[in-house]
Amino acid sequence: MHIVFGGAFNGKREYVKKRLAGQEVDWFESKLPKSPAVSAAIVVAGIEHRIKSQLASGISEFHIREELQEMLAKYKDNKLIWVLTDMNRGIVPIDPLERELRDVLGRIYQFLFSEATEITRIWYGIPQNLKGGDGR
Amino acid sequence: MANGQLIFVSGGVRSGKSAWAERRIRESAGSRKVYLASGQAHDTEMVKRINRHQEDRDGQGWVTIEQPLHLEKALPYIERGDAVLWDCATTWLANELYEGWEKGAPCADQPGCMETKWAALQNTIQNLQSRTKLLVIVSNEVLDDFIRDEMYQRWLGRIHCWIASQAGEAYEMENGMAQKRK
Repeated sequence: MHIVFGGAFNGKREYVKKRLAGQEVDWFESKLPKSPAVSAAIVVAGIEHRIKSQLASGISEFHIREELQEMLAKYKDNKLIWVLTDMNRGIVPIDPLERELRDVLGRIYQFLFSEATEITRIWYGIPQNLKGGDGR
Repeated sequence: MANGQLIFVSGGVRSGKSAWAERRIRESAGSRKVYLASGQAHDTEMVKRINRHQEDRDGQGWVTIEQPLHLEKALPYIERGDAVLWDCATTWLANELYEGWEKGAPCADQPGCMETKWAALQNTIQNLQSRTKLLVIVSNEVLDDFIRDEMYQRWLGRIHCWIASQAGEAYEMENGMAQKRK
């Protein structure tokens, strides 16, 4: 499992697309894969949008995490790539939902980071290897 | 003539990026030290702040060019072999994107407006690079937060990615420590 992480508009998706060029990919934007994967590689991006709407409709952090754990188990034999957006280096949001999202995202990202075998940080298109991988 | 060196440095507020950038210029072989400033004073505190910085630099032999908008207008004042510090991309973008807001018609609301300015900026940066010994571009980290102004942040990401791709060296400033990313 590979995580591609960085601030907004830093070129994370472009980096993933370039790396997966020529391969069959199932790409999930703001949602999680449910049915059995068709392609060997699965990309999950924009989960912050999904988690925000889950929190807004009263779904607990426990449930959100459980759902992610189940997903990781289900797709453990696939090449799973996460595109995670760092949103937690700004000032404390005024909106209570955004404050909650920040806390939940921070913990969820920590969980995903601990599960990942490879982590790449993208800074304006420049990759930096944070964990595992070949440092490309 | 071969292109001069381009260095991109970005960091948080008070991370020491400007001091680091100034040092790179001082230590370069540029014939003049030129400070290309995009900041605009909107109140007396800002005027004092800008004046104080300018006086500090003047004492150290810097030439200051204030160019809040339309960076290409500074080109005639740049001499071959200069070392130029442009401070900064974030301020420039805010100035350009919201130019005309006081008349109720900011660039951000006009289709194609920012695209034109962006093309002009790319040309200007390449032009600067072709005549300077060293060009250091300073910017800020504001994309690791909730999206507050999508158009501004999207443009800034695009600009930063392009500058980083053009630069020979790119650094992320962490509390006075320059982390080399490229």
